[in-house]
Amino acid sequence: MVDVIASARAEGRTLLTEAESKELLHGAGIPVTRARVAKKAKEAVEYAEEMGYPIVLKIVSSDIAHKSDVGGVAVGIDSAKALRTAFKTMMERVSAAAPGARIDGISVQQQAKQGTEVIVGATTDPQFGPVMMFGLGGVFVEVLKDVAFRVVPLEPRDARQMVREIRGFPILEGVRGGEAADLDALESLILKVSDFVAQHPEIAELDLNPVFAYGKGALAVDARVVLAEAKS
Amino acid sequence: MIGNAGTIDPARLHRALNPRTVAVVGDKGPNWNWITNLKAFTGKVYSVQLDEKEIPGILERGVPNFRSLLEIPDEIDLVICAVPRNVTPFILKDAVAKGVGGISMFTSGFAETGEEIGVKLQQNIYDVCAADGMPLVGPNCMGIYNRRLGVKFSAAQEQGEGGDVGIVSQSGTHGIAMSIGSQRLGVKVVRAISIGNAVVLNEGDYLEYMLNDPEVRVIGMYLEGIRNGRKFFEVLKRATKKKPVVLWRGGRSRAGARAVRSHTGSLASDDAIWSALVKQAGAISVDTLEDAIDTIAALVHAPATPKRNLALVAMTGGQSVAITDQFERAGFEVPELSKKSYDILSEFFITIGGSYRNPFDASSTIGRETDNLAKILEVLTNEKAIDGGVAFELGSRGFDEGTERMDQMLDLLRKYRDTRNLPVVCLMPDGGVMSGDAEILVRARGYVSKAGFPVYPTFQRGANALGRAAAYWTWRAEVGKGKASKKK
Repeated sequence: MVDVIASARAEGRTLLTEAESKELLHGAGIPVTRARVAKKAKEAVEYAEEMGYPIVLKIVSSDIAHKSDVGGVAVGIDSAKALRTAFKTMMERVSAAAPGARIDGISVQQQAKQGTEVIVGATTDPQFGPVMMFGLGGVFVEVLKDVAFRVVPLEPRDARQMVREIRGFPILEGVRGGEAADLDALESLILKVSDFVAQHPEIAELDLNPVFAYGKGALAVDARVVLAEAKS
Repeated sequence: MIGNAGTIDPARLHRALNPRTVAVVGDKGPNWNWITNLKAFTGKVYSVQLDEKEIPGILERGVPNFRSLLEIPDEIDLVICAVPRNVTPFILKDAVAKGVGGISMFTSGFAETGEEIGVKLQQNIYDVCAADGMPLVGPNCMGIYNRRLGVKFSAAQEQGEGGDVGIVSQSGTHGIAMSIGSQRLGVKVVRAISIGNAVVLNEGDYLEYMLNDPEVRVIGMYLEGIRNGRKFFEVLKRATKKKPVVLWRGGRSRAGARAVRSHTGSLASDDAIWSALVKQAGAISVDTLEDAIDTIAALVHAPATPKRNLALVAMTGGQSVAITDQFERAGFEVPELSKKSYDILSEFFITIGGSYRNPFDASSTIGRETDNLAKILEVLTNEKAIDGGVAFELGSRGFDEGTERMDQMLDLLRKYRDTRNLPVVCLMPDGGVMSGDAEILVRARGYVSKAGFPVYPTFQRGANALGRAAAYWTWRAEVGKGKASKKK
């Protein structure tokens, strides 16, 4: 876990790759989809066989902030054959869309079953230090900014309140026949992230976006960790 | 140890904030404000002033003058420093050599100017005080007010025993405004500290002092930037479990824009974080001076309860609707009363008119004599549906002719309050039809405040103030009972 941070530091990077971010979070007991980086299609197939289909491919590059904009995300891959094809076309697409970007490989990930999208994040406030955010994903966070904040460390009561504080909370309770989200699982995930951030002052920012909330359980399917600038 | 450098002994701060001797350094005419503010100080006052022009005025005020702190033949608990900024290094040096308790530094022109010399001189204050463990309030502040000892930074600040509230203000004038505003609402301010640039001690240190002061029941704070956010958050969480903390924040963080690379970072506005922090810590957030003192008055004068079922008594039908709107908007319920209560009320309401369903429209019933008010309050005392107290529109007509009727009404309201141990909020609106003219109304408000009731000039302000108090007591009932919930 320290290795991920140390190796990023050694390369002068503060933005961790998705695979690195997930490794860190997984080590902290936070539920994330596993991801392994493959350089070659053959390697990707090996990982996929271990994880089981369907799987998702995502480009790994610290030069690319928004993977889907450059064709760096492929979902629903359900066979070794489809995987080989998808691997090749993704390499070509990304090279064309982002010429010059350093590509470290392609991340092979279990495809999580769709759930209600939420975002869990952390950032560092210049006055109050680490703070956490919770909100519904997609348009709710992008457009409506329907999010709740708390200062780290959070107590169970804080996690409970912040989940219920957003205007979109009824969606998590299940509207129009939708499944009610497992609020205990969300709160537990939030508290684990709070502990994680509290123990790692070197982490400046963190997005788990999206986290899928299920009827039972919750799972972060994308993760981004930003380290604080190294102290000189 | 407290302070920005972690080198200040809290006992030494206590000595400086509760002085038996004060040395004023650099006070000047024509008013010699600092010496004048200490006119009724219970301890001894000394002056240090080199300027020959200024010395006669100091001596005329009965204060002995010396050429240096070191020449004063007495121990000095507090130095009030009002010299030009360039002189501060010399005064600090003498204060350290003298071993004074602490310093309150009025002098300004430091880092707040952005000038290099100001920044340098402020750094000198920090360095000298950190090394010596010298508690210094300010600079760029009005210093300290101590009600019992008569140390003041405004002549309008009261002197006397006891008190309810402790005030910490980053702004000097808001420190004055919050203390005299509270006084006008009949609230006694134990002490106030104007913290200025908070170079040596930070807002968390002062909050902790107020938390540990047994005389302070309610804490009011005005803050702009926060010097040590982590410490403030930590102390605030502890403080609110023992005492209500009313937080008024002005301005916005000047910490500057940061480069952020996450969604979370881009949404974490200063406002969003501040409101989260206040909520999380169980503090009471207000946006204006009026909200601050209104809330302080409710916390001091109204018995603590999280309950929200109120009886509302207005003087007219129209006002009975208006008062209900405002209290319901602030989260209160206005429940129906029991049949038994209605049976009793109908006996005397029916002949005179007006409504008694709750809200009450009562002017015609209690306009002439207070007997009917006694009956209403007796019914409410026995009424189980009312668990949150009474909001009462109080008429002041005739107050100029004598206080007898007002006294009778207040006695009855006090009896209800003390029997049930529930809030009684007095509403004395400008538009009250039973108010008399403006001067009478204003004088009557002051009279009722002094009698120990929370008084508000609008239904809305009363409803919001009581609503904030009830929200705090709800929080206390859930969290702050001393048995903090353990992590699972």
